[in-house]
Amino acid sequence: MFDFDFNPEEKQFTCIFKGRMDTVVSSQLLAELDSKYISLSENEDKNALLEFSIIFDLKEVNFISSSFIRLCVAAKKRVKDGKFSIINSDPFIKKTFKIAGLDDILNVT
Amino acid sequence: MAENLMERANDILEKAVFAAAEFQEFNQEQTNKVVEAVYRAALNARISLAKMAVEETGIGIWQDKVWKNVIGTQLVYENIKDEKTVGIISQDAVTGISEIAQPLGPIFAVTPVTNPTSTAIYKILICLKTRNPIIISAHRNAARSTGEAARICYEAALTAGAPEDCIQMIPAGSRDFTQMVMAHPRVALILATGGTGLVKAAYSSGNPAIGVGPGNVPVFIDESADIPYAISSIIKSKTFDNGTVCASEQSVIVEDKIAEKVRKEFERQHCYFLSLEEALKVEKIAVVKDSMSMSPFIVGQSVATIAEKAGITVPEGTKILLAELSGVGKEHLLSVEILAPILAFYTAKDYHSAIKLCIDLNYLGGIGHSAGIYANDDKRVMEFSQLINAGRIVVNTPTSQGAVGGTFNMLPPSLTLGCGTGGKNITTENITVKHLINIQRVCNRKMNDRFFSVDKDKYLDENCDETDLRYEYHKNH
Repeated sequence: MFDFDFNPEEKQFTCIFKGRMDTVVSSQLLAELDSKYISLSENEDKNALLEFSIIFDLKEVNFISSSFIRLCVAAKKRVKDGKFSIINSDPFIKKTFKIAGLDDILNVT
Repeated sequence: MAENLMERANDILEKAVFAAAEFQEFNQEQTNKVVEAVYRAALNARISLAKMAVEETGIGIWQDKVWKNVIGTQLVYENIKDEKTVGIISQDAVTGISEIAQPLGPIFAVTPVTNPTSTAIYKILICLKTRNPIIISAHRNAARSTGEAARICYEAALTAGAPEDCIQMIPAGSRDFTQMVMAHPRVALILATGGTGLVKAAYSSGNPAIGVGPGNVPVFIDESADIPYAISSIIKSKTFDNGTVCASEQSVIVEDKIAEKVRKEFERQHCYFLSLEEALKVEKIAVVKDSMSMSPFIVGQSVATIAEKAGITVPEGTKILLAELSGVGKEHLLSVEILAPILAFYTAKDYHSAIKLCIDLNYLGGIGHSAGIYANDDKRVMEFSQLINAGRIVVNTPTSQGAVGGTFNMLPPSLTLGCGTGGKNITTENITVKHLINIQRVCNRKMNDRFFSVDKDKYLDENCDETDLRYEYHKNH
């Protein structure tokens, strides 16, 4: 469902998603994402973790459900403002975030 | 004071209601006679009104204002003259439904400073064609020319037998009074063309409103486009009346692979790319930073005037100033709507990035308005169109003229362009006579045999589910 890449030097988590991010997939993803995040945070100071960046790479995503949008919002809250971003979105996906009014907040490019 | 204003508002609306009462007695022929007379008089005055508008407002080019007046008179007239707007307008023997057009009543019309006389005439024509008296509120800086257009139309209308007070003006300059008239219970509809504040005021008045606001038109030049043609078309549009049409191009977006070619073509056709430093100087005079809106002082000004105000030197005969920008929004002020010959220019690494930039620009104050694409690839045209939130996506066409309709395509010619719910409007259409009538539907008895053939007890039977009821409904007896 997604590949997970952690770069400790850059303090950066990158999640590379693939395919359709429908409701079922998205609801499983949050738990999976959190478990990865929590397992990492065991080795890190929690406040320091706020300084990390989370990047969602949607290059291979062709559909997002509202659950996935909620997942993005939840993930954004794990880090400080400006540390969350969505990259490589397809124009249709970009428009979806625009309509949801989250384009700026989630730094969608 | 407020009481005096209310008395004046009551007086204006009383006159308008009396005019409406008389107007609804008119048949189609009488109505058409009035419309034709007004069209003739207004078309004959196209040049003097254009010159007066430029002289009064200091905005635009009189020759182009003439064309706008031609659009507002001749093209609008030719488009509406054969429309049925009175009495029975359609009868369908198959459905048994007949449609009857009824007038709405007094229409309160707000006209802008950028297209004062053409918008006034256009609104007068569509109101009279639908037997609605019109009360015009002109922009304070265009009150004289708008008033003159209204006077010419009114005199012609009276000569053709129109009701007294079918066209009225309210004094310009008093926001309180405008809002008072707008909210008056005897106003049937507000037809507001202008900025966001005006449109909001119209919709907040409690009266029905068709309010259309600003745009921020992105134009994508695809790699499949004929580039010299595209640039010449954009120049034709952006320089038209010094860029005062709200559907005029605001930004040009291209992929890296054709950027150099496009840049050179703009330069070859006498457009000037601003240096970073020059762009900052232009930005300072063109956009009000706090409100992220264009400065009224540069609206409809020529390149020479803008350059002088900005303190920059550009080659003589420069048609458009282009600013190469790397982003959209408050850090890049020239990305907002500017009704002057200033264009933002963007390059993107690939097609998808370019389209995403168009979406960002589209959502920066121009949702629902208009957009343009130059391409010889139908698939891309349709893809672009589905991604952009615009009432009009004009293809291989100057957007100023294309969105207004009547010349480069078959859209109804109109100086009020609906922006849909994204622009807080009720429609995405070009506003015309069909929006100014109440259509009554006379529905003759035509039994729905399928419904009446269903055994009604089955609807009351808990054991009958959707499959059973669908079968019953569609059963052929």
